[in-house]
Amino acid sequence: MYLVIVGAGKVGIPLASSLINEGHEVYVIDHSEEAVNEVQRELGMVATVGDATQPSALKEAGLSRADVLIAATNSDEVNLATCQLAKLQFKVPRTIAVAHTPENAALFDLAGIDLVVSATDLVLANLTTALPTHPLIRLMPLADRSVELIAIKIPASGTVVGNKLTDTRLPYGTKIILLINTDGHTKSLDNDSVIEAEDEIIALSSTNSTAELWEILTELR
Amino acid sequence: MNVIILGAGHVGSTLAQKLSDIGHRVTVIEKDPHAVSLIPRNRVDSGSIIFIHKDGSKASSMVDAGIVDADAFIATTGNDSLNGLTAQRAKIVFGVEKVITAVKGEGSRVLHESLGITTINKSNLASDQLVTHLSELG
Repeated sequence: MYLVIVGAGKVGIPLASSLINEGHEVYVIDHSEEAVNEVQRELGMVATVGDATQPSALKEAGLSRADVLIAATNSDEVNLATCQLAKLQFKVPRTIAVAHTPENAALFDLAGIDLVVSATDLVLANLTTALPTHPLIRLMPLADRSVELIAIKIPASGTVVGNKLTDTRLPYGTKIILLINTDGHTKSLDNDSVIEAEDEIIALSSTNSTAELWEILTELR
Repeated sequence: MNVIILGAGHVGSTLAQKLSDIGHRVTVIEKDPHAVSLIPRNRVDSGSIIFIHKDGSKASSMVDAGIVDADAFIATTGNDSLNGLTAQRAKIVFGVEKVITAVKGEGSRVLHESLGITTINKSNLASDQLVTHLSELG
């Protein structure tokens, strides 16, 4: 695949490096000569200085033959404009933008960007994962955020404690895929699996049903 | 009409005065309280033009400026891409009927127009003003 990355920063450089290692063709655009020099030192001649909000700079990078454009600068407005140029003028099949504030992430979704990575949400998700008491952790959004992978901690005095998994009524569009007990071991999922106190449940859930699933699994006696 | 203008530079200040002159309710968002505004002090003191000293790139500032009841939103900062982002927020999120951006670059003009945003060209506007001033000299 040919991927164009805009922004040679904390996200852009490691991303370019890992994509190159996977065998992809990558080109990086950044407005700073210093940043471009760093990419060239680390990864070779795969970067150029340019203003990615200008169609001329995108054309020079061969954007019309790109499979993916990833806008990962520090500026949300640049990321939005670049993705929209890529989509509307260069017909790039897939555009991905980093949004630094959640409200911009929501706007980018509405503005037609194919995949929006919300920097704040990612940091928050990682932080909450580090808090063992947090009862609901959103691990990963899937299928354009209509489905998500989540983790729910079962309270010690929860009404579902002691229930067989097969006897527990779950909302439509949710599926438990893994049970992890307090010592960190996963339990096999079969008809006899029992939910125990303080188990961690990993589930796939349609985003609309997550709140209901959480309520059922964390209801207290 | 209720009009919100983002940015109190030359373009924003000129537009604010002209729109206020012809009877529109004008609110200007400008994040820098020290920004030199070309809007006469008495227009602000009398309340005929309202100033909001907040960061207009945030949705909350637009709400404080009354975006929910606005008929038009005009983004006039010096940053074409920021003008594009805020105009799209006004249009898509807040449903403002008429959104306008001041743009410097041709690429931005084409992009914004293709997104259904009306654009005004900063340098054209300046030259129009220049012509007006010169003609006033007789």
